[in-house]
Amino acid sequence: MIYLDNGATTFPKPYSVKNAVMKSIHCYGANPGRSGHKMSLKAAETVYSCRENASVLFKCKSPENVIIMPNCTTALNTVIKGILSPGDHAVISSLEHNAVVRPLEKLKEIGVEYSIAECIPCDDEATIDNFRKSFKSNTRLVICTHASNVFGIKLPVERIAALCRINGILCCVDAAQTAGIEDIDLTDSCIDYLCTAGHKGLYGPMGTGLLIINSDIIPESLIQGGTGSMSSELTQPSILPDKFESGTPNLPCIAGLNEGIKFVIDKTTKRIREDESILMNMLYNGLSKIRNVVLYAPPPEIKYFTPVLSFNIVGFSSEEISSILDSNYSIATRAGLHCAPLAHKQFGTEDIGTVRAVMSAFSTPSQVQLLLRAVKEIIYTKK
Amino acid sequence: MNNNYLIFFSVTLAIKAREVLRKNGINSKVIKTPNKISNKGCSYSLVIFGDINRAVDIIERSGIKISGIIAADSQ
Repeated sequence: MIYLDNGATTFPKPYSVKNAVMKSIHCYGANPGRSGHKMSLKAAETVYSCRENASVLFKCKSPENVIIMPNCTTALNTVIKGILSPGDHAVISSLEHNAVVRPLEKLKEIGVEYSIAECIPCDDEATIDNFRKSFKSNTRLVICTHASNVFGIKLPVERIAALCRINGILCCVDAAQTAGIEDIDLTDSCIDYLCTAGHKGLYGPMGTGLLIINSDIIPESLIQGGTGSMSSELTQPSILPDKFESGTPNLPCIAGLNEGIKFVIDKTTKRIREDESILMNMLYNGLSKIRNVVLYAPPPEIKYFTPVLSFNIVGFSSEEISSILDSNYSIATRAGLHCAPLAHKQFGTEDIGTVRAVMSAFSTPSQVQLLLRAVKEIIYTKK
Repeated sequence: MNNNYLIFFSVTLAIKAREVLRKNGINSKVIKTPNKISNKGCSYSLVIFGDINRAVDIIERSGIKISGIIAADSQ
């Protein structure tokens, strides 16, 4: 299988990740932060190491500000529902995932409203201006994706966050598609909350996500329960990360995520980004020369795009193309709306969807060539 | 008992404090807080192998909150 569905989750994972998952189950599969025996403490050390490495990668204040979550969606829900109250207003970009839109739609029921600021591809000034124009006197939170999970378009999140800070608005960035690929430095950053998946560009197993709190304003927690700390108190502890981590953590996957983050630190985001961008440009250039292939964005210049590409073939539905690629060529892509109907609406593809190809650190030029050859054959065969 | 203990609200803070001390040349060990030194429910402590006053000073300067100090001579 040629796996180019890395936007959904990366595959394969580094050997160190697989080994760490197995080792945690085989050698120290105890409940971290609950008991005092050696295995439990070893498990707690592993979880702490994951926080520490994440704090190194994102240059955040402290390991305890790294909250380990089941996925990016839970992290985003925590910020959105933990910050916004009835009467508040939020602003999001026009490229947001349903992980942002659906919680906000739910909050409409209690009197939270939100506006959509249009992202103008390759024009940061215009995008920032659209955010500025969307602010109201009751705007409490901006939630903005770092890059579209459909078209790869990057948003100037640092500048948007700075604009928020000037206006007394909190800023949450969804880095699901960029963590481990783009440079994210929270030192002196105005980003208040960074949410990301652990199983995409961070190469951890599925079932992992991170919420990094870079603000003194701490959201309310969505759930309450046992944390292995301050147990005599009947109310939820306010200390981080315990406030947000009730219940037994997913130790095997956290152990894997820890190794995935180390893999990214060792390889560096710069190298990963540059390598993937070379492949993405190869794919873009190849597709742009094939008649009847539809591309939706300009050439993926590294300044404005993260390595994510959407395309279609005239005369085929996106699901049809992806299905043929899978069954006839063993090439894995993702078709449809990618849980991001707003982004598709902006590009006029909300009715047909797109085929998405996303690279990883394990993708190769020959895989790109095989995809290009497959697309040509699909078009030729149809004729 | 002749141990010096520093009590923390969570295992995360206890491990973090241990790492800060290690970087400053003080060895310590994370343990589940024994009931005999604190009965406020689950917490974790560091057993300090060194000067506890210096350890407290280093940890407090690093911004980690200590929830209890049990010096050997106070037990």
